[in-house]
Amino acid sequence: MANPKKTVKRHCWSNLFTHWSVAISTIVLFISGFGQMPMYARYGFTKIPGFSWSGNYKITLNLHYAAAIVLIFAVTYHLAVSLMRKEFSLLPRRGDLRESWQIIKAMLGFGKEPESDKYLAEQRIAYLYIAVNVMILLITGIIKVLKNTDFYQPGASFIFWVSNIHNAATFALLFGVFGHLVAFVFKDNRKLLPGIFTGHICCEYAKHRHSKWYCTLDVPETTDQLPAVQGEILTVGD
Amino acid sequence: MAEAGQSGVGAMIDLSKCDGCKNLAVPKCVSVCREKNAANFPQPKEPIPLNFPLGTNEDWSKKKQLTNRLTPYNWTYVQNVKVTEKGKTAEVSIPRRCMHCDNPPCANLCPFGMQTKSQEGPVVIDKDGCLGGAKCRSVCPWQIPQRQAGVGVYMKLAPKYLGGGVMFKCDLCLDRIRKGEVPACVEACPQKAIHFGSKEAMRQLAHQRAQEISGYIYGEKENGGTSTFYVSPVSFKSIHKALMDHEVDGKNGRMGMKPLAENVLDSPEGMAKQMLFAPIAGIFAAGMVAYKTMKGAE
Repeated sequence: MANPKKTVKRHCWSNLFTHWSVAISTIVLFISGFGQMPMYARYGFTKIPGFSWSGNYKITLNLHYAAAIVLIFAVTYHLAVSLMRKEFSLLPRRGDLRESWQIIKAMLGFGKEPESDKYLAEQRIAYLYIAVNVMILLITGIIKVLKNTDFYQPGASFIFWVSNIHNAATFALLFGVFGHLVAFVFKDNRKLLPGIFTGHICCEYAKHRHSKWYCTLDVPETTDQLPAVQGEILTVGD
Repeated sequence: MAEAGQSGVGAMIDLSKCDGCKNLAVPKCVSVCREKNAANFPQPKEPIPLNFPLGTNEDWSKKKQLTNRLTPYNWTYVQNVKVTEKGKTAEVSIPRRCMHCDNPPCANLCPFGMQTKSQEGPVVIDKDGCLGGAKCRSVCPWQIPQRQAGVGVYMKLAPKYLGGGVMFKCDLCLDRIRKGEVPACVEACPQKAIHFGSKEAMRQLAHQRAQEISGYIYGEKENGGTSTFYVSPVSFKSIHKALMDHEVDGKNGRMGMKPLAENVLDSPEGMAKQMLFAPIAGIFAAGMVAYKTMKGAE
């Protein structure tokens, strides 16, 4: 019988660092960005005790810039480390849309879920969606930062498009982050959650749901002391 | 004939000459500005919606006659203030309007790109796209743009729930400048206290006049530099103090002239430079991690 405490390492510390630095900086960018919209004074948030700072544009602008520095660092780190280590398992593949639909149907109780690799097809699509939006936000955001300096004053029409593409991508990313979190409403996905905090997921779950990836790991069936294989260190949970 | 030059147009306002048109009910620069821009003034339709959830709006449509402050219907006004300096008291009249800054935070920080610095220099608001968030007013050191509710694109969206109207302010008569004419206030000033030309010429004129009267200049360094240069025989520190103590409609210090007023965009400029180094740091860190991976440390 399988040991339910046995775990498999799904994310190295580098991936955890990338995920959380992107996540935290993005949350700060959302909060400070909506402050710049401007929304907090308009909707009375500034009247809530402890939130009067949210209507101060100097504070929210500085927060926005600081979080953008972290995001730019994290994104370039992620791109560079993925290229250098040739890690492309998060990139979408042919047939991912169809496979995602099959996974969603299976979670709703219709049909059998297809075998998955390290990432589910829907995770690969979500990654692309979020990555494209983040890149649009970074490019338009950097143009906006340059515009805020003395040195660069683009034309009115260019400013209009850059500003509103930035705004549209913000809402598209917010929708993507919402979808990313809503995925955990489904019980089937919840066993992935520990992975993004500790790096480890339940071995039995990986075997069942990420069988294509699991097959690539040389997991001994009879012992809790598991060796490191193909960069994926297998350990025993608490 | 106005010449923009490479740095755009500018104005020099000589406070040693401006007398606030005390013989007139309304100073001439104010009345001609109102006449010239009447067609651009907002015309809200009743009832003007109240913003959810605060239940407020900014409606100046019933106070169109006001000329002693900036409103969406009054884009310039004259402050009359008694200034005491070195034991002497002088009466100073100060025409106030948008300073048309070099790096205008109002335009740069508009989240919808509806405010821009034109090639000629004046900062202009696109009233057809402005949602009236009034951020431009909050980030302006002089709180120049003024909001009128009940007009603009927000009325076609969700008036109660989004936006708040349209912002209005002086555009330095950009249409006249483009026709080679000078702004209406410049042409109308009976004291010839407002000069207009290329910004650099106005800067030089301001320095020349300041030297002649042993006076002071305001607008050259404030908010990172503007296109409007005030020259005064009394210091702007004293003028600012007097303005702050001065009552307008029963309220103190509506609009000061703080020397070296800070541009809200100055403080994050250091971070903008750090932003350039963030990708380099990211690539360097990735190189270190990848190297350790190759060495089998991970």
